[in-house]
Amino acid sequence: MRIGVFICHCGTNIGATVDSAGVAENAKSLPDVVFATDSMYTCSEPGQDGIIRAISEHALDGVVVAACSPRMHEPTFRRAVERAGVNRYMFEMANIREHVSWIGKDKEANSNKAFELVRIAVEKLRRNRPLTPKYFPSTKRVLVIGGGVAGIQAALDCADAGIEVIMVEREPSIGGKMAKLDKTFPTVDCSSCILGPKMVDVAQHPKITLYACSELESVSGFVGNFEVVIRRKATCVDNTKCTGCGLCAEKCPSKKSFDRFNEGVGTTTAINIPFPQAIPKKAVIDKSFCRQFVKGKCGVCAKVCPTGAISYEQQDELLTVQVGAMVAATGYDLVDWKVYSEYGGGRYPDVVTSLQYERMMSASGPFGGHIKRLSDGKEPKNVVFIQCVGSRDVSIGRPYCSGFCCMYTAKQAILTKDHIPDSQSYVFYMDIRSPGKGYDEFTRRAQEEYGTQYIRGRVSLIYPKGDRYIVRGVDTLAGAQVEVEADLVVLAVGVEAAANSPHLAEKLRISYDKFGFFMESHVKLKPIETNTAGVFLAGCSQGPKDIPSSVAMGSAAAAKAIGLLSKDMLESDPQIAQVNINRCVGCGKCINVCPYKAIREIDFRGQAKAEVIEAVCQGCGLCNATCPQGAVQLSHFTDNQILAEVEALCRC
Amino acid sequence: MDDELKGAIRKVLPDVDCVIGWGPGPDPLRSAPFFMRKPEEVDAFVVGPLAVNNPAVFLPEYKGKKVGIVVKGCDSRSVVQQIAEGLVKREEVVIIGFPCSGVVDIQKIAAQLGQDIEPGMVTSLSISSDKLTVNVKDTAKTMDMADVRADKCASCQYPNAVVSDEFVGTPKEGKTDDYADLAAFEEKSIDERFAFWEQEMSRCIRCYACRNACPLCVCRDHCVATSREPHWLNQADSTREKLFFQLIHATHLAGRCTGCGECSRACPVGIPVGLFKRTMTRAAARLFDYQAGTNAETVPPLQTFATEEPTIKEREW
Repeated sequence: MRIGVFICHCGTNIGATVDSAGVAENAKSLPDVVFATDSMYTCSEPGQDGIIRAISEHALDGVVVAACSPRMHEPTFRRAVERAGVNRYMFEMANIREHVSWIGKDKEANSNKAFELVRIAVEKLRRNRPLTPKYFPSTKRVLVIGGGVAGIQAALDCADAGIEVIMVEREPSIGGKMAKLDKTFPTVDCSSCILGPKMVDVAQHPKITLYACSELESVSGFVGNFEVVIRRKATCVDNTKCTGCGLCAEKCPSKKSFDRFNEGVGTTTAINIPFPQAIPKKAVIDKSFCRQFVKGKCGVCAKVCPTGAISYEQQDELLTVQVGAMVAATGYDLVDWKVYSEYGGGRYPDVVTSLQYERMMSASGPFGGHIKRLSDGKEPKNVVFIQCVGSRDVSIGRPYCSGFCCMYTAKQAILTKDHIPDSQSYVFYMDIRSPGKGYDEFTRRAQEEYGTQYIRGRVSLIYPKGDRYIVRGVDTLAGAQVEVEADLVVLAVGVEAAANSPHLAEKLRISYDKFGFFMESHVKLKPIETNTAGVFLAGCSQGPKDIPSSVAMGSAAAAKAIGLLSKDMLESDPQIAQVNINRCVGCGKCINVCPYKAIREIDFRGQAKAEVIEAVCQGCGLCNATCPQGAVQLSHFTDNQILAEVEALCRC
Repeated sequence: MDDELKGAIRKVLPDVDCVIGWGPGPDPLRSAPFFMRKPEEVDAFVVGPLAVNNPAVFLPEYKGKKVGIVVKGCDSRSVVQQIAEGLVKREEVVIIGFPCSGVVDIQKIAAQLGQDIEPGMVTSLSISSDKLTVNVKDTAKTMDMADVRADKCASCQYPNAVVSDEFVGTPKEGKTDDYADLAAFEEKSIDERFAFWEQEMSRCIRCYACRNACPLCVCRDHCVATSREPHWLNQADSTREKLFFQLIHATHLAGRCTGCGECSRACPVGIPVGLFKRTMTRAAARLFDYQAGTNAETVPPLQTFATEEPTIKEREW
């Protein structure tokens, strides 16, 4: 073999702590290496041209680049060597940036390690052989998980591009958190007026199939060919018959049911349509309150339903669908703020969450748009807002900023003044974070036009005094302790990943961070992609985001899915498993562990043997690791290659 | 019980290729694997404390044919694991079980006699419920059964066949296994333990009896010990290579080993190689609440993926 080695400086990223030129010089001594050099930015055009020129000048048939993580630039370099006529799998990468230069300052030690990694890569490459990708068809259908505004946008964009969409929503209606909001910043336009039409579009779009009250049961398959099982939870209402007339809810005798949509502000009936604009507009029975289930008898709704849609015996239904791509848009939930005993820990009825306050202000909310206290129904005059409740708090494991609370708190202060002109709002804040178009102007309006008092400092205690509350805090700008009498306290509760996000991530085989938010493939350059091909992210599932960002991300995820499915055939990575039929004892362990159903049992001269279906195999290596006989080997990751790498390392 | 077992074997014989059990060995003290094909051959069948071998080791070779097998509790676990792993088909094996009272450890007997046991040295033998009398030439030596019983029998949880088509006798009560032997070994420091293994493995003659006796070793001609492709081990006579093979063997058996103890028993120089596997077995029990060879329906933990293991809390964020 004739191998060329290229050691990257990555500007000073590598060059500052690794002697790239020295490593290149040493590399010339390695077996089969006929050319070695260093380059300032190997991934740049001159860098790639250098590789291409060296291939033709030195008749190279294999290339090693020692540079950054292969995640970003392995495809770049593979394309480069292919342009020069070398098979793109006759290429290996040594990561001397993340694995060397960024983690140590000792230049000599770093250079030694960089050389060791190069030696390993050379030994591996010497045992590579040219591979050719296979092609396989894909299903032109997208699954959108979550029907909040991000998911809605992704679904509509995909559907408008002519791709079928299946939307799965856990709650009885789509709309997500945005549907609960009264108004939106910074324009103070009505949330349901701008979201409502989009929700209707989802319902009416011929390319979109919506499954509400449904969750993802399991996912198998791979990019272009996922098989998804959806659990349609029993709502005890036949959606094909329910017209959404609401008669059942009117007559339902169980009127003290917890109102999930209204965040527990007020109560609802056991059978209900969560809100007037709900999509789908179908009644749903809450079994934990329905008398038919709790007491075993009632049946009022079944009697009054004019279409006979009620079916108490309804069971969960499992539905299997094929999709080519998936968009995870599962949104967020509020942090459990009741861990804060200084805010009453949930004991004071007039200490509410920001989301509850949205429902209290909303014209379609339980109070019809007239703000009143949950305790005595009186109109509050002094309203205190506390920001960063469960955000930027290391002590409860939520060190991050939830991003949009500063803005909605300003909005809620403005709206409070609109609703109750003789009211006074106070905001306890840590910093005002308003980086967005028209955002900072908006927070200033709250202060300057609406007279909201902003107090920079934390609140140490809320305690009741008569029928009011004393909010004790510190004003760090004045350097004084302050006490504010409040009729109502609104907590700007921070954001965390939606409940059970890790479970979903595991089903989707994507990563999640320590807070449960889904991990993007690259923080800056691949914020939509995950490390699982064909799974994309939108909205708060990836991290806290306001509405414009969520919508933008929904469109971005749609663009990614459309781009993927616009190709008729997808290319498969040829670095796949192969079975050595002599070693195979036909035990079938590989068949059982394969997550892609890519191995089948064949009859070979009367004996059972395993066989890999090439276009289906994703090269994950599970079978390889499982086979006790070592009969399954992964191309370019064979035992011999790994052994050669270990030996190369031990020789150093 | 001998006659009842023989009856069961004769009953099974017409349906199978052969029945694997124990028969006369090189001397009265030792039995040997025994393959019975005709009813008259069954007369020489041997069972009891001398039935030390694990006959399950022969089963995978018979894949495609129907065979009968007489098993102690420990042997039956091997069969169950072979079935669970697809190495043996349940419908191709007829299992004859009995309640086992434990087997002898020949090396312990040799120690009691104070000499190595050469072929032809033991002239006769008599066994009662708790005594064993060995006649070496003209001198008889009586020893307590408890002193010569195999170590594994002291913590035997499954004296009866876990699965059987024919069961002869009244099932016995199992004991518990608290891994006290491992705990005792782990009292030593890492250095002491390593020194112990260096000393022990230096005596290894690389005969691979430990591997050949293992009912779950199925790589046959492709074993890493002898394969040049891939070349995991070299043939140098070094303690390092010998120890390396044992570590590979133990990891291959992680979550699979049923603790039949054949590897240690088969070792001609008496290296306790079973300890390696017991460490893995304990790990599988603690990590995955899994005991190999107790249920052919469960998938061994290292051959499947559970989104959340009951004992590993990785989702608590």
